Amino acid sequence: MPMVERKLNITILTLVGILLLILFVGIPFYWVFNLSLTSEEEAYSPKLFPTNPTLNNYFDLFNPSKAAARAARFENFTGPLVNSTVVALIVTALSMLIGCLAAYNLARFNYRGKSYVSLYILFAYVFPPFFLMIPLNIVINMIRLGDTLIGLILAHLAYTVPFSTWILRGYFMGMPKDIEDSALVDGCSRFQALWRVVLPISAPGLVTAAIFSFTLSWDDLIFALVILSKAENYTLPLAISLFMQGGEVYAWGELAASTILATIPPVALYLLIQKYVISGLTGGAIKG
Amino acid sequence: MKLNRIADWLYILPVLAVITIIFIIPLGYTFWISFQEKALGGEAKFIGLTNYYTILNSKIFYVIISNTLIYSFSAVFIKALIGLGVALLLNRKFPGRGILRAFSIIPWAAPAFAVAFFFILLYDLKGLFNRILTYIGLPALRYLGPELAMPSVIFVNVWKGWPFFFLGFLSGLQAIPQEIYESAEIDGASRFKKLVYITLPNLKTVFFTVCLLSLMWTMGDFTTIYLLTGGGPLDRTLTIPVASYFKAFASGASIPQAASLLILVLPIYLILIYLVMKYAYGRT
Repeated sequence: MPMVERKLNITILTLVGILLLILFVGIPFYWVFNLSLTSEEEAYSPKLFPTNPTLNNYFDLFNPSKAAARAARFENFTGPLVNSTVVALIVTALSMLIGCLAAYNLARFNYRGKSYVSLYILFAYVFPPFFLMIPLNIVINMIRLGDTLIGLILAHLAYTVPFSTWILRGYFMGMPKDIEDSALVDGCSRFQALWRVVLPISAPGLVTAAIFSFTLSWDDLIFALVILSKAENYTLPLAISLFMQGGEVYAWGELAASTILATIPPVALYLLIQKYVISGLTGGAIKG
Repeated sequence: MKLNRIADWLYILPVLAVITIIFIIPLGYTFWISFQEKALGGEAKFIGLTNYYTILNSKIFYVIISNTLIYSFSAVFIKALIGLGVALLLNRKFPGRGILRAFSIIPWAAPAFAVAFFFILLYDLKGLFNRILTYIGLPALRYLGPELAMPSVIFVNVWKGWPFFFLGFLSGLQAIPQEIYESAEIDGASRFKKLVYITLPNLKTVFFTVCLLSLMWTMGDFTTIYLLTGGGPLDRTLTIPVASYFKAFASGASIPQAASLLILVLPIYLILIYLVMKYAYGRT
C-alpha cells in the first residue's frame, strides 16, 4: 500500500474516533443542558434545540414561591447549595489537616510498626464506605448528631481522611529530602520543616488531595440519606431528588438546571488537576 | 531522643483516632448487631445466628450477589475497552488533543448523583433516546423496565467510569519508551503487531491496577442504581449496597438483618481489598 494512502486511512480512523468520542461524552450533557434552557410549556415535548432558550429554570430554583411550589419540602435551592458547600469545605479542611500530618509521618519517619500503620490506613482507604451506613447511622444518632450537618461531616471524614492521607503520602515520598534535611541541620524542628519547607513546595499535591476530599464529600448520597431527615439540612442530591416523585420527573427544567449546577464545581476543580488525578488516586503506583 | 519518638506518634495519632472511631469500631458494631434481634429502641436481644439463617434462606440473597457480580464485571470490562480505545486515540499527535483529553474526563469528574439524574432525563419515555427511536420510526423503549434495566444501569456506570481507565492507560502508554517502537519499525513491524507485541504487554501492570480499583468502586456503587431504579423493577437491578440500604432503612426493615447481610458478603469485598492492596499498591 502506498504511504500516502495509508496516512490518509489513519487520519480518517482518528477523525471517526474523535467524532464518536465527542458524541458519546457530549450528548448526555447537551440534552440536560438543553432541557435546563427549555421553558415550562415546551418541557412536555422538548425539542432538540430550544426554540425560546430561557434561564428561567435557573432563576426559579432560587425563587421561594416557584421552588416551593415544585418541591414542597424546601424554600429554595440556596439552602441545599450552602449545606453541600459548607459540609464539603469543612470536610476538606479537616481531612487536609489530619492527612498532612499523617502523610508526613508515613513518608519521612522511621519507627517500628510503621508498615502496620500504613496498612491500617490503606485498608480504610480502599474499603467501600457503604458498609458504614448502618453503624454510622446508629453511632451518630447515639451521640445526638443525627440529622445534623456535623454528623454528616463526621461520616464523610471516615473515608476522606484515609484518602487524603494516602494521596499526600505518595506525594511527599516522591519529593527530594535535601531541602528539608538542610532545614533540619539549621535547627528547624520536624514540624517547622513540614510547615515552612515541605508544605509550600507541595502545592500541587495539596491541591489535588483537597479537591479529592471536596468532591468525595460533595458527591455523597448514601450518608446524606441515612443521616439527614429535615429538609432544611438537605444537601444537593437529596434536594434534587425532590423534583421527582415515585420515579417520575415532574419538574423537568428545574431537575436539569439543578443537576447542571451541582456538576459545575467538581468538574471545574478536576479540570484544574487533571495531570495529577491518576498518580494521586493510585498513591503514586501509576505515574501521571 | 525518647521524647522525639512520642512526638513522632503525635503526627499519626489523629488519623488513627479517626479511622478507629468512625471506621473500625462501627464495622465491629455491625458485626455485633448482626446477632441481635432489635437495634433501635427497646432491649437488644442476642439471638445467635438467626439473622444469618434468615438471610441465607432467602432467595433474594443469591439474586443480589449475582446482580452485583453481573453489574460490576460487565461494567468494568466495557469501561476497560472504551478506556483503552480512547487512550490509544488520544495518544496520537493531532491538534486539539489536549482539549479532548480534558473533555474526556468530564463524565468521571461529574458527581455520580448528577450522572444518574442525567440518565433519568435521557431514558425517560420523552427523553432523548426515545425521541431518536421514534424519529427513525422505531417504537420507544422502557429503558428502566424489567428487561432493559440492568443493561441501562450498567451503561450509566460505564459512561461515568471509563475515563478513569483512559487516564490510567494513557499514563501507561506514555511510560513506554519510544525507542522500542522505533526499533520495531526498523524491523518492519506492522501497526497491529506493535499494538499486540509492544503496547498491550507494557500496559499489563496498569491494567491490573485500574481494573482492581474500578471493580472495588463498582461493587460499592450505591448512587447510580439507587437513583435510577431503586433496585427494581422486580429486583432486577438490586445489588449489595442498595439491598443493604433498603433492608436497613426502608419501612418494615430490620437493621440486624441488614447487618448480617453485610457480614455475609464481607468476604467477597475482603478478597478484593486484599488483591487491591497487594497488586495495586504493592503491599500485603
